Amino acid sequence: MTTVDPITLAVVRGALETAQREMTLTLEKTGRSSVFNLAHDYSNALFDAVPEMILQGQDIPIHLGSLIPAMKAVAGFYGEDIAPGDVVYHNDPAYKGSHIIDCCMYKPVFFEGELVFWTVCKGHLTDIGGPVPAGYNPDAKEIYAEGLRIPPVKLWEKGRRREDVINLLLTNMRAREHQEGDLNAQYGACGVGERHLLRLLERYGVDTVKAAIAELKAMADRQMRSLIAEVADGEYSGTAVLEDSGHGLGDLEITAHVKIEGDEVAIRIDSPPQVPYFINSYEGNSMSGVLLGLMMFAQLPPPYNEGLYRCLSVDMGPPGTLCNASEPAPHANCTTTPMETLTDAVRLAFEQAAPERVSASWGHASGINIAGFDPRHGNEQYVTMVLASIISGAGATRTMDGWHSRGPLCCFGALMSGDIELLETSYPILIHRYGLVTDSCGAGERRGGSGTWLEIEPLDHAMTAVAFGEGRQYATAGAGGARNALVEPKLGRLVHRHRDGSETVYDRNALLTIEPGERVINVNPGGGGFGDPWTRPPQEVAGDVRDGLVSRVGARQDYGVVVDDQLHLDESATRQLRQTR
Amino acid sequence: MTAIYRLGIDAGGTFTDFILAERGKGVSLFKSPSTPEDGTQAIRAGLAQIADALGRPASEVVANADLCINGTTVALNALIERQGAKVGLLCTEGHEDSLEIRLGHKEDGYRYDPEYPPAHMLVPRYLRRPIGGRMLADGSERQPLDEEAIRDAVALFKREGVDAVAISFMWSVANTDHEQRALAIVRELMPDTFVCCGSEVYPQVREYTRTSTTVVNAYLSPVMQRYVSRIDALFEELGARQPVQYFQSNGGLALGKVMREKAVAAINSGPASAPQAGLYMAGPLGVDNVITVDMGGTSFDITLTRGGQTNYSKDVDFLRQRIGVPMIQVETLGAGGGSIAHLNEQGMLQVGPRSAGASPGPVCYGKGGREPTVTDANLVLGYLDPEAVLGGTVRLDREAAVAAIHERIAEPLGISVERAAFGICTLVNLNMVNGIRRVSVEQGYDPRDFTLIGAGGAAGMHLVRLAEEIGVRQVLVPKVASGLCAFGQIISNVQHERLTSLVLPLDDDPEHRVRVNRRLAELRDEGVAELKRDGFEDNAIACRYRFEIRYRGQIHECTVESERGEFDEAGWCELRDAFHARHEAVYSYCEPDSEVELVNLECSVIGEVEPPTMPTLEARGGELEAALLGRRDMLFDGEGKPVPTPVYDGEALDPRHEVTGPAVIQEATTNIVLPPGWKATLSSTASYVLSPIDG
Repeated sequence: MTTVDPITLAVVRGALETAQREMTLTLEKTGRSSVFNLAHDYSNALFDAVPEMILQGQDIPIHLGSLIPAMKAVAGFYGEDIAPGDVVYHNDPAYKGSHIIDCCMYKPVFFEGELVFWTVCKGHLTDIGGPVPAGYNPDAKEIYAEGLRIPPVKLWEKGRRREDVINLLLTNMRAREHQEGDLNAQYGACGVGERHLLRLLERYGVDTVKAAIAELKAMADRQMRSLIAEVADGEYSGTAVLEDSGHGLGDLEITAHVKIEGDEVAIRIDSPPQVPYFINSYEGNSMSGVLLGLMMFAQLPPPYNEGLYRCLSVDMGPPGTLCNASEPAPHANCTTTPMETLTDAVRLAFEQAAPERVSASWGHASGINIAGFDPRHGNEQYVTMVLASIISGAGATRTMDGWHSRGPLCCFGALMSGDIELLETSYPILIHRYGLVTDSCGAGERRGGSGTWLEIEPLDHAMTAVAFGEGRQYATAGAGGARNALVEPKLGRLVHRHRDGSETVYDRNALLTIEPGERVINVNPGGGGFGDPWTRPPQEVAGDVRDGLVSRVGARQDYGVVVDDQLHLDESATRQLRQTR
Repeated sequence: MTAIYRLGIDAGGTFTDFILAERGKGVSLFKSPSTPEDGTQAIRAGLAQIADALGRPASEVVANADLCINGTTVALNALIERQGAKVGLLCTEGHEDSLEIRLGHKEDGYRYDPEYPPAHMLVPRYLRRPIGGRMLADGSERQPLDEEAIRDAVALFKREGVDAVAISFMWSVANTDHEQRALAIVRELMPDTFVCCGSEVYPQVREYTRTSTTVVNAYLSPVMQRYVSRIDALFEELGARQPVQYFQSNGGLALGKVMREKAVAAINSGPASAPQAGLYMAGPLGVDNVITVDMGGTSFDITLTRGGQTNYSKDVDFLRQRIGVPMIQVETLGAGGGSIAHLNEQGMLQVGPRSAGASPGPVCYGKGGREPTVTDANLVLGYLDPEAVLGGTVRLDREAAVAAIHERIAEPLGISVERAAFGICTLVNLNMVNGIRRVSVEQGYDPRDFTLIGAGGAAGMHLVRLAEEIGVRQVLVPKVASGLCAFGQIISNVQHERLTSLVLPLDDDPEHRVRVNRRLAELRDEGVAELKRDGFEDNAIACRYRFEIRYRGQIHECTVESERGEFDEAGWCELRDAFHARHEAVYSYCEPDSEVELVNLECSVIGEVEPPTMPTLEARGGELEAALLGRRDMLFDGEGKPVPTPVYDGEALDPRHEVTGPAVIQEATTNIVLPPGWKATLSSTASYVLSPIDG
């Protein structure tokens, strides 16, 4: 086998990163829906011919983990039946897709007649058919009631666009023009990635590039193993609570067992039987949650490739359970719920194993999709997930307060909320408030980041709002001894504000019709704190009070800090109060 | 008396460069250490040097100059060092946090980093005051302005000692009434405080970008005001004929009275004059596609100019602050002579972005640096003369450089020192090549159609390698490379940007074309009127246009540039076709059947300043051998076989001579390495022209 010198190795790494970054840029700049062009709810990766992931982008973690088994399933489906100019599309969890609203494009890259790479692009479309706009049907008892399943299918065959197949797909989706534009954007992204990879192959030749990629994977493997080896051998477990977000079966629990042996790690998931509600997760999607939990422990800088996971084996539990769902379990909500609970369970197990490395949890997603008919454009149908609604607070780390408005956990800072004026341009809505939320930050010596408050009024039409997610009943988990006294403001919630100013507050999912003059308010939780909040420097608490991030009541109850009505720190009263504990 | 001088002063972070053009006599370059606390000190020191060199007092030079031009990093430094004004922000109630939410995103590369801090807030939350009142996208008023809330906020600002106020309301770009009213109230209550509003600073859709740009402007303008007053006073005292012109990030000049209101326009003005200089140097060769690269100690700045038009960027994060106003697109990398080579956590060789800076500097400077840098690698490879750097005032320690590369790179990787040194250069070159690709290939431009122009002291050692890697066939290194930006300033024009949003279909409806023509005429007329007030004649005023276009339903635009400010039917179709072509070039596809939508119009109004007359370089006689200083061993590949390479004195070369590689040409402030297979000649504009021998 060709060996590769360290310089060429670095060159190849740089070229792969450039290819992936340009794919991401193409989706952002050319996408039609706000989910693509404002929110970045898409992810790109490069695979080799094995196929193993050779570069995972800086995109949405919840997409990226599942791409690893999905690419293998898709390549396996076609076997030898892949030719230059083919482009494959797929969303089905039976082939390790995440949820069916995330549609994935796979383009094989041939060089001198040989399949060398795949450029892969997964994106959240705004609709996938089914009875409820935007694909989150809280009443679905089966996956068939959630929308269109797409097993691997060629949209381009040997360079020819299959108009019949594309038409079949688009005919089944609402807001067809948006979906078609986004599909084109995915095609553009795969093409841009291909351009870069071909240039790399022309410059260095297939053998050298392959050797470099083998070495990059080996390096990632060594790096993860060295981190695992530092952890004492043993079995650690973490259990996280999954609140009842609307199924009526009560709270559920997910447990992760992490077994460390030398430089290897085995993770086993225990979850309850699957439920007739859209929170079941098929195996591909659950893989994303496990890998995110592992990365919250590893905290590695890029680049990321599949070599990182060679030391890992995963057992998702028996088929038919919540985290290893079987057909026909409904699953639309799975990328956030129960995924973030699964991630938390893995994180908690690692907190047992290596407490010094693990941070607080981030706010879980509770958000809304909106849909209706746009009176500004001849009542054209619109539908979208409002990603701004799920931006929660980040968890505090050992050394740093959590970032405000950077979540949710499953996206880990990769998502974007979108510019308010651009959202008001794209949809017939008025956004009255998009801001931080007082007392939403998890209390701790390092406090969590603030969640967000999104308040929308539909203009001149009745709007459907479909809520999903959870985090409305339990506050985000802190770490290192953090705890909250003032819990209620730290929770997410859904509010229907009526014309007379009265409000209906929901602590679980709902499907609402918002009439003109009414508002829907979605509050997302803050991130967890780190360490004992009563040891947080009082000046910092007073600063948060001055900035309106913490109320005077919150300062007293959560932090044991007294701030007077002029918002000045009362040092002696604080000392006295803190001595009472 | 006719003006005989033009003076360009580029105040950088370390040095202030002076370029003096003297009618009929060419240009001379002077340098003095920068004095950030009071920029006039460095200028006085530089003027004293000029006075010495010319044997006449500085006031005579200034009084006999047609223009004195100043590029400054004062705004940039204030932002880096957080020394701007204390700003209060008035914003639409419910949206006071958009500045802090920053679109909810954590920068790529730091996803799992537990110690990466949030961006610094230029306005803390308690000074971001919510004001009732709401406009809608169509410009209608949904809720009237709460003037009482403004008065309350101003009272708070006064108590808190706020010294600049930014106003940015939702949809002010569609209806400016609320912002104008708020502006009037603040001016009435805080008459001595700087205040600016979004619809004037950056009148385009995108509330977050507009608010952030306005805040940055409020943060920096009071600083700029103080700076401009001092400089203006100094030159007035020296008897300047005209007020000083300041250099902006858009590549054009502006008077102090403009800069003090709009400091955000000067934020990255340093490297923005490179394209002008590059075009000037390449002009006699008939070239108007140029890529300039400026390589100093810590950073590497790249610009691209195509058909004489330079790429602009807008709506980008600059030092983690979102800035909308168009700036010359400068790709800045942490790659310079001082960039540190190290093995990363995975044991992979990496160069930069950390730099040894001026202190401790590279290992070979002997000032305490222990980590090998690019300069150390260049020394080991023989590209640098241990005696001749900085005019022979510093002796470089080659043994120390060898030892550092051996210990930290070569030995752990199990390769020779020469190979490691070559690898360090290859990697820093790769970083630079990737940067060049970002402004060229990734924007749809083929670098092979461009001439590469080097600026900065360190560029000459890397340029040919960069050219080979990206396929460029012609490289220029001006003799004044180390002061090229100051040179660019003295040949630049006055330039103002006029922006507007006008969303309409780019279709066959003549009404749409007429509306665009009308709006373009308005933009042009405003800009022209302003330039006329500043003394420009009609025939010295030119306009250029940029059109931001997208497919209906997209939300980001492709920019199409044009000389045309009025469209007939055919021109209108050409504009549409140009958009499709651009979309395909950048994104690998286009949608020829989809509806196309025009979004923003931008007009650059340019007051042309007559360039200083420059003499052409002529042959003085003398053979090439007379310029030969000696030979030095150099390495041109990783195999480690030294090549005895001739070293020429640049001062003794003239346009008749052709130097063939391998060779090195030494100039007072720069050093040009010519690998085998390349040749160099001197152009009439005092630039070295490097090209492959076979080409």
